[in-house]
Amino acid sequence: MTTGASEPLLALSNVNTFYGQAQVHFDLSITVARGHIVCLLGGNASGKSTTMKIILGLVKPRSGNVTFDGASLIGLTTPQIVRRGIASVPEARRLFADMSVRENILMGAFVRNDREAVAQDLDKMLTLFPKLGQRLSQRAGSLSGGEQQMVAMARALMSRPRMIVMDEPTMGLSPLYVDRVLELIRAINQEGVSVFMVEQNASLALEIAHEAYVLQTGKIVLSGPARALKDDPRVRDAYLGGSEAA
Amino acid sequence: MSSWLDYTINGLIVGNVYALVAVGLALIFGVSRLINFAQGSIYLVGAYIGWVAVVQLHTPLPLTIIVVAAAAAIVGLIIERFGLRPLQNSVRIAPLLATIGISFVLDQLVMLTFSPNPRALPSQLPDVRFQVGGGTIGPLDLLIAGVGLTSALLLFVFLRYSKLGWAVRAASQDRDAAMQMGVDVNRVNQAVFGIAAALGGVSGMLVGMYYNQIDTAMSLQATLKGVVAEVVGGAGNVPGAVIGSLLLGLVESYGVAVFGTSYRNLFAFLLLVVVLVLRPNGLFASARQAPPEPLTGTFIAPSRPVRIPWWALAVAAAGFAVLPLFPVSFYVLQTLINAWLLGMLALSLTLVAGTMGQVSLGHAALLAIGAYTSALLSLTLNVPVGLAVIGGGLMSAALGTLLISPSFRLRGHYVSIATLAIGEIVSLVILNWESVTRGPIGISGIPPLSVFGYDLISPTSIYWFSFAVMVVLALLQGRLLTSHLGRSFRAIRDDDIAARAYGLSLNRYKSLAFIFGGFAAGISGGIAAHLYSYINHETFNTQQSILALTVVILGGLGNVVGAMLGAVALVGLPEVFRIAAEYRILIYGIVLLLLVRFRPQGLLGTM
Repeated sequence: MTTGASEPLLALSNVNTFYGQAQVHFDLSITVARGHIVCLLGGNASGKSTTMKIILGLVKPRSGNVTFDGASLIGLTTPQIVRRGIASVPEARRLFADMSVRENILMGAFVRNDREAVAQDLDKMLTLFPKLGQRLSQRAGSLSGGEQQMVAMARALMSRPRMIVMDEPTMGLSPLYVDRVLELIRAINQEGVSVFMVEQNASLALEIAHEAYVLQTGKIVLSGPARALKDDPRVRDAYLGGSEAA
Repeated sequence: MSSWLDYTINGLIVGNVYALVAVGLALIFGVSRLINFAQGSIYLVGAYIGWVAVVQLHTPLPLTIIVVAAAAAIVGLIIERFGLRPLQNSVRIAPLLATIGISFVLDQLVMLTFSPNPRALPSQLPDVRFQVGGGTIGPLDLLIAGVGLTSALLLFVFLRYSKLGWAVRAASQDRDAAMQMGVDVNRVNQAVFGIAAALGGVSGMLVGMYYNQIDTAMSLQATLKGVVAEVVGGAGNVPGAVIGSLLLGLVESYGVAVFGTSYRNLFAFLLLVVVLVLRPNGLFASARQAPPEPLTGTFIAPSRPVRIPWWALAVAAAGFAVLPLFPVSFYVLQTLINAWLLGMLALSLTLVAGTMGQVSLGHAALLAIGAYTSALLSLTLNVPVGLAVIGGGLMSAALGTLLISPSFRLRGHYVSIATLAIGEIVSLVILNWESVTRGPIGISGIPPLSVFGYDLISPTSIYWFSFAVMVVLALLQGRLLTSHLGRSFRAIRDDDIAARAYGLSLNRYKSLAFIFGGFAAGISGGIAAHLYSYINHETFNTQQSILALTVVILGGLGNVVGAMLGAVALVGLPEVFRIAAEYRILIYGIVLLLLVRFRPQGLLGTM
């Protein structure tokens, strides 16, 4: 479901990021087209999660630009970026453990002021994630990992975002829940929400993504349509750090 | 029987007062993971604003409460905006030190404005007592209970039903995740500082009315009690803070009933130490909660220390050694003797806080132990003074390490709280253990310094002696830091989990650091006792602990030369500029604030 605009929804261009002296990103450029699912693949310490933090304004790049819907996000605070229409499903879900499931989901609508519509959206979440209905007044911290992932996704959707960024949404989940999460990401996307996800599990991510980028020690070593990358042996090589040999 | 009811009522009322302070601390800790050591100063400010309103403006009681709450809230907002927000991205120790600096500045400003003499704060309520069961209760008791309950209710409604309240709760559970929901953490911080300050200020006013007296010593006491109540209830846990406060009030009240008034604080701090040792997450924490503060090396600003060539140090040392041969005044020598004594304490603290990462706020207790041991050895057992001073050092090393050992498994802020409490406990034991320490009277007629039978009476000889002792201690410590022991200390400071994984025993190395540090501080205290010839339980107080900490940070945490340089600078410069004594503490507070803000690594850099 593309809107027809040729301009990408999100674009990182020539981003260089440092933690102290150590450079994490080298001229990183990534684009997410409107209505697409884009995944960023890579092994440990490749700079994937930092890419997420750059988009959300939690880490500032030293140089380069990040634009969302044509406007630069550089210099904006995280809350300001969220108000522009980007929601996140953080790594390891990061629910508010001592708040109830209902409160967690409603926290997702923190930037909204239309109370009635928020209440309707909460009902909508319960049809999308029927299991959460019985859990609404439970402490979020008491749910299983898979259920927590559902809450995190519902929470992200509550802001009616134009794009959701997800950090390893399948991490630590049982195989049953992994399939369910992937299905949901596809469903969310079909509602018109663009998705940028960071994943270690390349074969799963490539199942649902439109495009993919492979990150290795801060550099994009491979990118293209997900279908094409699926059987590309270089993807696996990138994980094993043997790209020079390949 | 009736008196027990009275003690219970009194305990609950005092507990209510503590709760107003502790709830604020819990809110702030929840959102910022910061123990706000300036909370007591806001309480003090509240009491004095209350005095101005009641005595000078003659405001009616409801208006007084509103004025105090509003004015205190403004002070809280200013602290947050200008004292703490600029430190958001700096090392974890920075905001902690900043709140200590702020509390010094506020306390001194109040003292300079209103004079240190106590003032009466009339309660504006009729002085009647109602019979309840077998006890009595007055209108002020009811007012305090009413303010406590109303505040708790308002706070509950705020946290549960308002949008900002939700933001506060979310930010206190996961700051980054809250930001990703669009929560502006600065606004949340503003809200909690404003609320905490309003409650703290009202609390100070109510206490002033309860005892019909206010003075500047209230500040530290309030911070200590609030921290105790908060930690007992579980740091960051708002309902826990209320229950912890009531519990603390009752424990104190019953303790006073059985043992007498001078034991009140002893019970408070013993309760704190017991809770810290047995349940560092507080009485009500569930097992699943994360252990307190997974802090690693980021607690201390990493930096490249300034390299000073050995010949420059030798020249400086020689210069100070020959100084008395020149016609310098007695006053200069006296000032430098004070600097050398403070330098020894700073060597001790820089080892413990800088090299080992255990930021002690009760270091003056080590001075007190050394001083009392040395004084009593020479007075009652006629031990030669030179040996008595060494005995003081050894006692400080042994007893100090023993006292601190229960807190070896704590980290970060909790070490600071525990050492603060242990410092208070030592001073209270000295006050109450009359058969040995002569209690509140203190020890007078302590013989002057002497070494191998030669009395050191002249300022020149005392100068040389104290300078030599400090240099020897510094050389030993420098040697220690370059050995594998120094490396082990730093490894534990930077990451105690990793250090343990490599087989380093935390207990052993922390003990060694405190033994060495305790010895240096004990020697300093011992020498001081013989110089002053009179000491009591207040000679070595928290102010000195904080002064030592400022010296150490000024020099650079862990930096041996820095500790001595810091001592000379902080003792010497106010003398050079002839700053009046009452402004000195204010200056120390401002120095601490400026350092934390602009040069957290100190003059010579952390090591």
